[in-house]
Amino acid sequence: MNGERLRPYAMLAPALLVQAWLIFTGIYSALQQSLGYFPAAGLDDFSFRYYIEVLKNPDFLRGLLFSFYIAFVSSSLAVILGIFLAVLHIHSPQKDGLSNYLYRLPIIVPHTIAVLLVLSIFSSSGILPRILYSLGLLSSESAFPSMVFDRAGVGVILTYLWKATPFATLMVYTILRNTNPRLFEVALNLGATKWKAFFYVVLPLLKPAIITSFLFLFAYAFGSFEVPYLIGPTYPRALPVLAYTYYVSPELSVRPYAMAVNIIMVMVAFLLIYLYSRQIARAGW
Amino acid sequence: MHRRFVNLVLYVAIGGIMFPMAVLLVWAFAREWPWPHLFPTAFTARGWLYLLSPSTGTLPVLLYSLLLSSVVTFLTLVLSLPAARALAFYEFRGKRAIEVFVLSPMVIPTTAIAMGIHVNFIRLGLADTLWGVVLVHLLPCLPYGIRILTGVFSALGDRIEQQARVLGACRLKTYLYVTLPLISPGLVTAGIMVFIVSFSQYFLTFLIGGGRVVTFSMLLFPFIQGGDRHLSAVFSLAFIGTVLLWVFALEALVRRWVRKGQYFYL
Repeated sequence: MNGERLRPYAMLAPALLVQAWLIFTGIYSALQQSLGYFPAAGLDDFSFRYYIEVLKNPDFLRGLLFSFYIAFVSSSLAVILGIFLAVLHIHSPQKDGLSNYLYRLPIIVPHTIAVLLVLSIFSSSGILPRILYSLGLLSSESAFPSMVFDRAGVGVILTYLWKATPFATLMVYTILRNTNPRLFEVALNLGATKWKAFFYVVLPLLKPAIITSFLFLFAYAFGSFEVPYLIGPTYPRALPVLAYTYYVSPELSVRPYAMAVNIIMVMVAFLLIYLYSRQIARAGW
Repeated sequence: MHRRFVNLVLYVAIGGIMFPMAVLLVWAFAREWPWPHLFPTAFTARGWLYLLSPSTGTLPVLLYSLLLSSVVTFLTLVLSLPAARALAFYEFRGKRAIEVFVLSPMVIPTTAIAMGIHVNFIRLGLADTLWGVVLVHLLPCLPYGIRILTGVFSALGDRIEQQARVLGACRLKTYLYVTLPLISPGLVTAGIMVFIVSFSQYFLTFLIGGGRVVTFSMLLFPFIQGGDRHLSAVFSLAFIGTVLLWVFALEALVRRWVRKGQYFYL
C-alpha cells in the first residue's frame, strides 16, 4: 500500500530531478556570483553592493523599463488579436482546410527567423517602404520612419507579435470550441446585446486561457535574448542583452553585475509564477 | 456576423503570416534587389550552392544538429512519459506545486539560468561538450514534453489499460501493446514540439557549447545579424525544410508502427 502511494513520486522523480538540478544549480550559482562570491576572479566576500550599483545604474533602469514595455505591449496585443481571430474563426464557415495548417506555421519558425521576416518587410530597404514608394506615398528610402533597431522597440514587438498571435489564437480557440455555443445564444435570447453577451458570458469563460497565455508570452518576451539582440536598439538594452554584455566582458570583475541583473530577472519570473499558480488554483492547468 | 467581414479578416491574418514567407522565398534567389524595385533585378543560386557545397561544411553541421536534437527529443520523451502519467492518473500531495514547477522553465529566463550554471558545467567538464549541450537543452524541452503528454494521458484515461490488466496482461505488455499505440499520436505531437524547441535554441547552445558544439541555428544567426539577406533567407528555408522533414519522418515512422489514425495535430 505504501509502495502504491509513493508510485507517482517515483514516476516523476527522473524528470523532476534533472529539471530541479538545472534550475537550482543555475540560480544558486548566479546568486552566489551576484553577491560577489566568485573565486575565479579573486572575489570571495559577500555583499549587496553589486545590486545597489546595478539598481542605481541608468542603463539597467532603462533596460528594465524597456523589457517590461516590449513584453507587456507585445503580449497584450497578441492576446487581444488572438481573442478577435479565434472568435472570427469559430464563426467562419471553413474551419478546416489549408488555412488551419498555415496559421500554425509561426510555431515551427524560430524567433531568429521571425526577426529576418520583420526585417525584410519593415526595414528601410524592406518591402513595405518599396510598396509605399511605388504607390507614391513615400518620397525616398530615408523618409520611411525607422521601425527596426528603434528605441520604441517596434521591430522587437512586431517579431513577438508574429510569433505569439497564432499561439494566443490557438489557446482561445481551443476553449471556444469546447464550450457550448448555446450559452451565447441564450444570453441573446434573454435580451443581452451581442457586445454584452460577449463581455459577460464569453469573455469570463475565456479568462483562464487569456491570463495563462498572457503570462507565458510576457515571460518569454521579458527573458529572451535573441530578438532584442538582433532587432532591438543599441540603447536601451533589454535585460537579457544587458546581462550578456556584462557577462562577456573580458574583465571578470564585471561578472557579478551580470548575475545581479539575472537574479532580478529571475525574481520577476517568480512573481509571474506566483500569479500563474494563483490562476491554476482557481481554474486548473 | 457578416460572413464577408469574417472571411476578409481571416484572409488578412493568413496573409500576415504568409506574405513575409513569400518575401523570404524571393530573397532566397535574389542576387540584386536595389531600392525601390518590387522584384529583384538579378537572380542567383549562390546561397544554395554555399549550403550544399562540401567545402563550407554546412551539411555536416545540419546533420549534427538533427542528431543532437533527436537525442534531446528522445531523452525528453523518455523522461516525460512516466512523469506525465503520474500527473494525469494519480492524486497525491504536492501535485499542484509540482505542476507549477514543471512549467517553470517556460517562465524563468533560461538565459539567466544558463549564465549561472555555466561555471558548474565548466567544473564538471560538461561545458563545450555535446552532452553538456544535450543536458542544458532538456531545460526548455521538458515542460513541453510533460505538458503535452499529460494532456494526452488525461484525454485517454486509464480504462483501456485496466481492461488489458484485467484480461491478464502484465504491466510491461500493457504498456507496449496498449498504452504506447494509443498515445502514439500524442507522442508524435510532443516529439515535434520538443524537436522544434531544441533545434531552435541559439543562446543555450552557444553559451554551453562554447563554439565547439556548432548547430545549424548557430550558422544561421550571424547571417541574420550581419544583414546578408540572401544567405539568411537560404539558411532559414533550409531550417524550416529540415523541421518539416522531421515532422513527416516522425509521422511516417509512427504510422508504420501503429498503422492507422491521423497524427499531425500540432
